[in-house]
Amino acid sequence: MTSYCSLAYLGLFLPATVLVYGALPLRHRSKVLLAASYLFFWSVSGKLVIFLLASTFSLHHFGLWLDDVRLEGERRLAQTESGSRRALRAQVQAKSRRILAFALVLHLGVLLALKYTAFFSGNLNHLLGVFGLPALLPVPSFLLPIGISFYTLQAAGYLIDVYRGKFPAERNFGRLALFLAFFPQLMEGPICQYDQTARSLWEGRALKWQNVTFGAQRILFGVMKKVVIADRLNLLIQSVFADYATLDGGLIALGAVCYTCQLYMEFSGAMDIVIGSAEMFGLRLPENFRQPFFSQSISEFWTRWHISLGAWFKSYVFYPLSLSGPIKKLGNRVRKRFGPQFGPLLSGSVALLAVWLCNGLWHGAGWKYIFFGLYHFALILGGSLVAPLSRGAADRLRLPYDAQPLRLIRIVRTGALVCIGELFFRADGLRAGLAMFHRMIFDSSLAWNGAFWELGLDKHDVFILCVAVLLVFAVDLGREKGIPLRQSLADRPLLLRWVVYDAAVLFIVVFGAYGPGYVPVDPIYAAF
Amino acid sequence: MRTKLRLLGKAVGFCSLLVLTLLAVSFVFLPKNNHQAFGVHADEAPAGGIQGEPENSIDVLVLGDSEAYSSISPMQLWDTHGFTSYLCSTSGQPLYDSYRLLRQSLERQRPKVVILETNAIFRPYTLRDAIFARAGMLFSVLRYHDRWKDLHINDLRRPSSTWTDDFKGYRYNPGVDPARTTSYMQPNGASEPIPTLNEICLQEMLTLCEQSGAQLTLVSTPSTINWNHARHESIAAFAKAYDLPYLDLNTLPDQIGIDWQTDTRDKGDHLNHRGAVKVTQFLGNYLTEHFDLPDHREEEAYAPWSRALARYQTIAR
Repeated sequence: MTSYCSLAYLGLFLPATVLVYGALPLRHRSKVLLAASYLFFWSVSGKLVIFLLASTFSLHHFGLWLDDVRLEGERRLAQTESGSRRALRAQVQAKSRRILAFALVLHLGVLLALKYTAFFSGNLNHLLGVFGLPALLPVPSFLLPIGISFYTLQAAGYLIDVYRGKFPAERNFGRLALFLAFFPQLMEGPICQYDQTARSLWEGRALKWQNVTFGAQRILFGVMKKVVIADRLNLLIQSVFADYATLDGGLIALGAVCYTCQLYMEFSGAMDIVIGSAEMFGLRLPENFRQPFFSQSISEFWTRWHISLGAWFKSYVFYPLSLSGPIKKLGNRVRKRFGPQFGPLLSGSVALLAVWLCNGLWHGAGWKYIFFGLYHFALILGGSLVAPLSRGAADRLRLPYDAQPLRLIRIVRTGALVCIGELFFRADGLRAGLAMFHRMIFDSSLAWNGAFWELGLDKHDVFILCVAVLLVFAVDLGREKGIPLRQSLADRPLLLRWVVYDAAVLFIVVFGAYGPGYVPVDPIYAAF
Repeated sequence: MRTKLRLLGKAVGFCSLLVLTLLAVSFVFLPKNNHQAFGVHADEAPAGGIQGEPENSIDVLVLGDSEAYSSISPMQLWDTHGFTSYLCSTSGQPLYDSYRLLRQSLERQRPKVVILETNAIFRPYTLRDAIFARAGMLFSVLRYHDRWKDLHINDLRRPSSTWTDDFKGYRYNPGVDPARTTSYMQPNGASEPIPTLNEICLQEMLTLCEQSGAQLTLVSTPSTINWNHARHESIAAFAKAYDLPYLDLNTLPDQIGIDWQTDTRDKGDHLNHRGAVKVTQFLGNYLTEHFDLPDHREEEAYAPWSRALARYQTIAR
């Protein structure tokens, strides 16, 4: 199984798991999911399943340890006189913090070691080379267990929440193991918080026909996005990003737009398959996308795109940092010196910078990813500074800020800024990204009509891409306006529903970009 | 129970409708003639030419990848021995494609000998590829879906096969690019295992041949890059286990007379026409010695072969 779109997953693994799940008594159904999840992991990463297993054992152990320390502290607090309670509380807090720090270093350390060692040692060697010194460190290349970036964040979130006392540590090992390894979300997320999914995953649910059909429906839509749009766009994107040096800047801009579209179709399509798979078992996973291209600002965009990653960084990096003692002190100092509005701005900015550095690095070990993170940091910070000014300017000019034309302009502007960011994200390194951007700005013309047709797409491809993108746009628009499309389809007569589903399958079979002449795009987010 | 039966009925009903729709659409998407101009994939067109041959007219069928279509010339076999042969070989042919081409060919032909060039036996593939290929045999829309760009009202007609290749699947290439090494068949005691899926597919091909009365014969054509002693050992063991004739031309350099300075077009990967002539000459003698193959050269029904030979000879000299 190489992706959720593979024949092995959709044609064999998922149906077999649904059948076995439905055939067993309710009390055993969670075990089916757990066994299937480990089988799935093993089929993708083989022996590296040991990392997932070790991570689960460690998580279970540290969670219980944190809980025990808390409970012991509470017991002792109850027996202690009120005068000594403060010192005892601080003592318990310090011990819990040490355990948490150790656990986080262990979990995040594995991720850092496997994913970033080569990047850091390579850069250190390069730096030494600049000063004429020999390379100091070997540049290793490790095999990464599938989904390590996703399940490590889930594990870290769980530990922090137990430390914060948000919920007690999980004593049931199986429930914790399934939370970490649930197969539909293992490869590309969403990154769930423990109290969002763990309990429902472990409950055996009755298999319902409507859940199965709704899940299949959503999976079909995801496969369409991936096979018809993302894989077909791959022909053009590969040409543009490989041969940018000989292409007009206009074509590079088009390549950036197409890549952004591909990334959205591939990742949101994978999420449709993931959420649809869970839906078949009657399980609800949190949405990871909420029509991101209707966003009017970059900060809004990141509340609609890869929502679970943004939420994780907000809960576990942004708030703890901006509320931490040193940052608060710094904010107070700045507030006293420069005015009341600058204190919170500075403390927020420092936390935001940390979030975006982490976000960039989470996507990959490379300077282009760090640049990608900083680019979005600058846009969000700049946006929050400029927004009041532009609103004020609109008021002074008596332009209705929320009128449709101005909203549309903001949506287009946000989309353009996102595309520029994705150009760097996809480029073969930061240098190539900068060169492409330079060409896009300073070497653009509209005289590339002929060259466009040499990039791998013909008029038929463009036509079917437009049809499919419009279809996705229409569905997104329906969701944005809160129209229950799926329910309204489910209310139609049986034969009409069958015709619609048959047509959807045929649409994918006929217009899908597979077979000779096509190179399907690998699951992009599975590599992170 | 009643609800379950109703749901089962729904599932069966939906799947039946889907299968019927896919079959109907597959009919439309199937190329309506076996020529490339009708939508047959370019690399498969020469192999598909066998569908344009008269029924039961091919004596020897050859399957395999580019090693086969670079090494064996059916027109030379016709010219020298008078039996008919056809190469159903394609570039990088995986064994599941060899199986498909064999099954398709046996629907209209009853060859006495089926030759499988052994390089394809070591080309690994995934179960997904194999399942997809089998599904493609049933629903041709999976193989020809890209024809939506060229569909025409004529695609509602029944398909026919009226074209055949003058070279009978052989691909003429006179280029010369000498091989760097000639000592590629040194024994090292190793044996390269046949991938499991390939072995299963080989057994299926063997069954098909037995059912149609053809003798499956394994042939390894010369290649310094694709062949070695470990592969030879493995195929020899397989041939022995299933009692199949096996001819490894890599072990007979003196008898065939391959000169790696002049007889390869790409540094020993494939033979050129000069090498193919030598291999075909040796193989023709082997086939006539070991199998009872007829000489059709004087038969009126085979006159198109003689005309094709004349055209072949104007190009491949």
